[in-house]
Amino acid sequence: MRDLIKMVVVLTAICGTSGLVLSYVNEATKAPREYQLLKFVKGPSLKVVLPEGYDNDPITDKIQVKLGTDEKGQPILKDVFPAKKDGKIVAFAYDATASGYHGPVSLMIGFAPDGTLTGVSVMTHSETPGLGARITEPAFTRQFAKLKGLDQVKLSTQGGRIDAVSGATISSTAAVTAVQEAIKLFPKIKEEVL
Amino acid sequence: MSVLSEFTKGLWKEVPPFRLVLGLCPTLAVTTAAKNGLGMGLATTFVLVCSNILVSLLRNVIPSKVRIAGFIVIIASFVVIVELVMQAYFYPLFKVLGIFIPLIVVNCIILGRAEAFASKNGLILSAADGLGMGIGFTMSLTFLGAVREWMGSGSVFGVPLAGPHFQPFAIMLKPPGAFLCLAVILAIMNLISAKRA
Amino acid sequence: MHEYWLLIVGAVFVNNIILARYLGNCPFFGVSNRMDTATGMAMAVVFVITLASCITWLVEKYVLAPFGLEYLETIAFILVIASLVQLVEMFLQKSVPALYRALGIYLPLITTNCAVLGVAVLCVEEDFNFIKTLVFAFASAVGYGMALIMLTGIRERILVAPVPKHLQGLPVGLISGGLLALAFLGFLGMV
Repeated sequence: MRDLIKMVVVLTAICGTSGLVLSYVNEATKAPREYQLLKFVKGPSLKVVLPEGYDNDPITDKIQVKLGTDEKGQPILKDVFPAKKDGKIVAFAYDATASGYHGPVSLMIGFAPDGTLTGVSVMTHSETPGLGARITEPAFTRQFAKLKGLDQVKLSTQGGRIDAVSGATISSTAAVTAVQEAIKLFPKIKEEVL
Repeated sequence: MSVLSEFTKGLWKEVPPFRLVLGLCPTLAVTTAAKNGLGMGLATTFVLVCSNILVSLLRNVIPSKVRIAGFIVIIASFVVIVELVMQAYFYPLFKVLGIFIPLIVVNCIILGRAEAFASKNGLILSAADGLGMGIGFTMSLTFLGAVREWMGSGSVFGVPLAGPHFQPFAIMLKPPGAFLCLAVILAIMNLISAKRA
Repeated sequence: MHEYWLLIVGAVFVNNIILARYLGNCPFFGVSNRMDTATGMAMAVVFVITLASCITWLVEKYVLAPFGLEYLETIAFILVIASLVQLVEMFLQKSVPALYRALGIYLPLITTNCAVLGVAVLCVEEDFNFIKTLVFAFASAVGYGMALIMLTGIRERILVAPVPKHLQGLPVGLISGGLLALAFLGFLGMV
């Protein structure tokens, strides 16, 4: 009986101590972990979509914009990454997602303060290599730069200015839809950010 | 003297994973480049030394019936610490090593040293044993990584070392290359030992 | 249904957990000397991986995730697996002695088989639902057993072959494993 109690006490003590230490380490590394995740997942896309010549770190300066609340009453937050020059915001970027042929396609979209697109970059997707995956190529994504408003950001078959990747209409449509979603959010986000 | 010999045995005589064939999975999986081998080795060394020290300190407190469970909790805690710290400060390496960081928990070297050595010996000896084994493991992984990187991509630690006309053996970076490379290294070590004896 | 077939073929052949993902290599070379031990180990692995992945999935979904404790995943999973193996051992010993005699001695070894923890972590990382976890874990384990039995077949033949002295034992086993992995590279791109 004494053995049994000792076993339980010792194991509980070890687990308890371990839990305490780990929750402390978890808290202590939380901020740098989030920063690294953004830097390596979104950083490369941010570099592409924001115009050159800004002098801040868009990831450190990220702004969280509240876009309303979900069914449970939790706020829906969106990370907006501003590019600043001499303390003034010259452009900002945020992501948007739409479903493609094989699941979600998510893009980072950059805007100038007047709503003109500064650039678009595909962050994650699982489209078919050689076909749908070609939406990540600059030949497709650079068509978005300098466009403005929902009328221009449409596939050329629907009267817009974007040529779809040949053989990959669904993937191209997904990219365009995601950018359109982002454009719809623009007025609200501009109000909050600027 | 004996502290020194506990330390040095991990460097050649019992060097894991070449002599004690333990911990093969990380050895084969992450050694596609010297840098990854080094990172994995250092992470494992940290867990090994810390768990050896703690197990040695607690060896008279933990009842022998539940000692394995106790050791696993101790090891797993250090692994989680390594996981969180790497994610916070070494993100690219964390991504490359991926699933093999949590799997340090089941690296047989660590539980093996805790059970076979640290649970029977004092603090200083256990720390020396852990450090020696850890450094031996790190060296082995770095070496294997360097060989595979040199043959598979023509560079070591990212520095080109194979000359401009070198055609890389891409297979060395794939699983078959890992198995073959380890087999050749083991055979060479057998040969050296046989020559010495 | 199509999706599940892809998952199964992917887990058994294309991303075989030993030969392509490098999980569970220690027992792969440790017990591949004799056919009867290899078969026993393969069966024990199939049993434990399937059960363990399902339970760890439930633990992740209903215990860790709701409380924001995902960082404790590693420690929770390994404890679940260790106690599960212990329970299975006790249960088999009492209720199914025949099966216990066949699998008993392999069960304790399985706790430190990284394929078990590896598959459990993969299922959570890939964000599978429960059915997919079940299918993926079972298929991976079958792939493991298959590779193990194949390697054992090769090694049993090599035992009677004239192998250079310094290559005997593990090195030639590793070379056989390497050739097997080379053959499995042929499945690449199938899924």
